[in-house]
Amino acid sequence: MGMDTFMEGLLTSLEPINIMWIIIGGFLGTIVGMLPGLGPATAVAVLIPVTFGMEPVSALILMAAIYYGAMYGGSRSSILLNTPGDGSAIAATFDGYPMAQKGQAGQAMAISAVASFIGGVIAVIGFILLAKPLADFALKFGPAEYFLLMLLTLSAIVSLSMGKMVKGFISMLLGLLLSTVGIDTQSGVYRFTFGIPHLSEGIDFLIVIIGIYAIGEVLYNFLTIDEIKKEKKKVGKIWFSKKQWKRSKWPILRSGPLGFIIGVLPGAGGSIASMISYTTEKQISKKPEEFGEGAVEGLAAPESANNAASVGAMIPLLTMGIPGSGTTAVMLGALIMLGIRPGPLLFENDPEMVWTLVNSMFIGNIALIIINILLVGLLVKILDTPAKVLYPIILLLAFIGTYTLSYSAIDFFLLLIFGYFGLLMKVMDFPIAPLVLAIIVGADMEQNFRMAILSSNGSLGVFFATPIAIGLIVLTLLSLFYPLIVKKIQKRKLSKP
Amino acid sequence: MKAFKIGMPVFLIIVSIVCFIGAIRLPKANLGDPYGPLYFPIGISVLLFIFGIVYFFQEIKRINKSNNKITELFTGRTPKLIGVTIILGIGYTLIFESLGFLIASILFLGALLFVVNGIKNWKTNIIVALAFSFISWYAFSELLGVSLP
Repeated sequence: MGMDTFMEGLLTSLEPINIMWIIIGGFLGTIVGMLPGLGPATAVAVLIPVTFGMEPVSALILMAAIYYGAMYGGSRSSILLNTPGDGSAIAATFDGYPMAQKGQAGQAMAISAVASFIGGVIAVIGFILLAKPLADFALKFGPAEYFLLMLLTLSAIVSLSMGKMVKGFISMLLGLLLSTVGIDTQSGVYRFTFGIPHLSEGIDFLIVIIGIYAIGEVLYNFLTIDEIKKEKKKVGKIWFSKKQWKRSKWPILRSGPLGFIIGVLPGAGGSIASMISYTTEKQISKKPEEFGEGAVEGLAAPESANNAASVGAMIPLLTMGIPGSGTTAVMLGALIMLGIRPGPLLFENDPEMVWTLVNSMFIGNIALIIINILLVGLLVKILDTPAKVLYPIILLLAFIGTYTLSYSAIDFFLLLIFGYFGLLMKVMDFPIAPLVLAIIVGADMEQNFRMAILSSNGSLGVFFATPIAIGLIVLTLLSLFYPLIVKKIQKRKLSKP
Repeated sequence: MKAFKIGMPVFLIIVSIVCFIGAIRLPKANLGDPYGPLYFPIGISVLLFIFGIVYFFQEIKRINKSNNKITELFTGRTPKLIGVTIILGIGYTLIFESLGFLIASILFLGALLFVVNGIKNWKTNIIVALAFSFISWYAFSELLGVSLP
């Protein structure tokens, strides 16, 4: 990376229009992320249409701001209502809610905002150090390596759907199947179009994403919409004490890099990062008995980790064009729609865009800490807005988003079908991320597979031909057997007297 | 609930069989490998069939275990809410282009709010439906330059 491109990126991200998008994105993301049951993936999916007509770089900045804004927002409802916005905010309920019950909600929100900020900043530094070398490395990939990399990502995300691997595989296979609908780009053959002209161009994965994440999630939330609203505790002081900071600073600093590394790994994301950092801190704490009772470090550590993971997850997305999680898959979809093709060439062809994004993350984290601390009262009031009013609004936004994809209301039927399907998947406990990831990478995966086979005159040996390919196969096998290995280790531990 | 539990794997198995038949009947490619367009769909449908069978037996094994989420799906006003949302969605699709974005959205959002938020809160429902439809029309059509009907 040249210093000049970095500086150019910094200057672009400091342009007033981009600062405005950072603040708007962070604020909107925080609001959607705060809604119980709706996380960053839904926030990005629902707010995709907001980026229409924007300069690609501004759209990218806005999208990223929505993403990490939603990560911040998710923990607000964890602390105040004991209801996480999404998986990565679950760990924030363990000690955040007990803190709120003790009248320390304001302190909990402040420490979580500061921890998220520090975690985010650590991760941005990691991004600067790691992204370019990884992009350069990815340039060595041929079709066989790309196919295997996508296979690794899919297998990792399936094997991390702990306890429901079969459903994870089914979810992934359905995604791959959907990606085959339409004209095959290599041969011109129509596949699974059932004579419907509208399907000849394939199913737009953004419709699937908006359907599952927006419509499906709202329908799923209808299951519990009439439950008695949890009592919200008083916010109290909105800044933490010196003692609380002393207890939190090292857990925050340890969890940042940990979360970042977990975020970079395919399949893992904020949920795993925050859980691992929570259990790690509990294990090394001198007062583990205080965890779960309102220990401030039990909140600070996972908050730092999940925000760092959200930045880390941008590395495989931007350097290789491979999303590592459901939310980054949604982001990839949105980027492709904006005409931005993430991958190693993005760093070669448009370094300014990448470094503008990186710098905007720095600025965004500062903006979010201000939003989350200064506007605590406003955010708490927004949380008071009844879900019964907000969910219909989200449904309308989902329809608008879909319409703007092809300017055709026919797509609404697909949207409703996938929304209902998303509801069924949630009810039957199917992981959604493998489906979303598979439908996005499916077409590329198939094309790379066929190009690799074609280049080797039909021999499968091409998938074992280079050290990178072999390394990827080994990692895929490891990721598939990882749950079995973990089970064995746990059994052995239990059987020990 | 049992039928619901078994229904999903049976549905998946049927999908895999239909896709397999559809895949082997696909025309061969005139360019490059004639079987190129078939590999992926065939591979996926075979794997889906295998995992569908495994899932079927998993569900048979825990057929008597209760799943609260399935129960919730059929209790209280949940089925009504879901059903009405989908029906209103279809209605919105049908009137969207003929009535135009603004009127269709006011009707759709208003009806949805009355169903979800209740008739008692009619003032809020009307204000939100009017205000949000107008704001979104203005934001998308005027500020973002999205062409809405």
